[in-house]
Amino acid sequence: MTTNRSIFFEDVEIGDDIGPLEIVITTDQVRDFVEIWGDVTEPTRFTDKTIALGEGLPGPIVPGALNIAILSKLLTDWSNTVRIKTLDVIFRGMVYHDICLTIQGIITDAQDLGEEALLECDVFIRDQEDIRLVIGKAVIVIPTREANAVGQR
Amino acid sequence: MTNENEIIYDKSLLGVEYHAGIFHVTKKMIKKFCKAAGESNPLFTDEKRAGDSEYGGIIAPPTFCNIFTSGIKRPDTKVQFGDVVYFAGQAVDWLAAIRPGDELTVSTKLKDVYAKTGRSGKMVFEVWETSFKNQHGEIVNLVRESTVRRNRKV
Repeated sequence: MTTNRSIFFEDVEIGDDIGPLEIVITTDQVRDFVEIWGDVTEPTRFTDKTIALGEGLPGPIVPGALNIAILSKLLTDWSNTVRIKTLDVIFRGMVYHDICLTIQGIITDAQDLGEEALLECDVFIRDQEDIRLVIGKAVIVIPTREANAVGQR
Repeated sequence: MTNENEIIYDKSLLGVEYHAGIFHVTKKMIKKFCKAAGESNPLFTDEKRAGDSEYGGIIAPPTFCNIFTSGIKRPDTKVQFGDVVYFAGQAVDWLAAIRPGDELTVSTKLKDVYAKTGRSGKMVFEVWETSFKNQHGEIVNLVRESTVRRNRKV
């Protein structure tokens, strides 16, 4: 999926998919992410297998903050016209490193309110057993073709 | 007499705002965040193309403020329930662009504590809301984080 696409409100129907995309969140990616937290230098359940096992987990897990960042990327990569207004997620299951995951959105509502046009979407991350590990809802702002033509929105 | 949904915790914390620090946003932070999250949107990664956009330069991705929330120290709510705590959910309201050079003043408050009963029994949820205000006094991001407490399965 590229961000060179420009999708407008008129191009979208309720029920349309965003994605799906198959991804793998690697241990290196998690390490890079955890490093940005600044003061987290010691190994944690996010980066270290022994610590994760000690906490009763089968392996290191992906931090929730990275999961939500990946769902945000799904939406902003879908179209370069999109702006996320709200993204609200529930962590239902652990997301582990280096496994194949599917990220997807489904448009559930579309409203042109005049001032702005909004789409509501269900978003999720699921594993290969089709278990939805992270689920959520997003509200995104998307321009109409008319407003884009006159540069109003 | 107490009913089973009553939750014992420090109710005086509800709604009280705590200053959580001042954070400086740098291009390097945004770049590292984008690399880790696999972001490729030019608004967040490409100086030139972002410069031609309505924002006039690179902005931070919508969930960028999460890199600050993990380090926030919050008062103990003294919830008397459960022996395990999980991160249950997170909601991000994106209200305005965050740019390199911004200085974000962060405050956090306990928004809600409530109980629910599911298949596995009672759970107690704790919701904290953190606001990020830029140097112009504009709230740019609101982050609500929920944790859930439950009893370990025996």
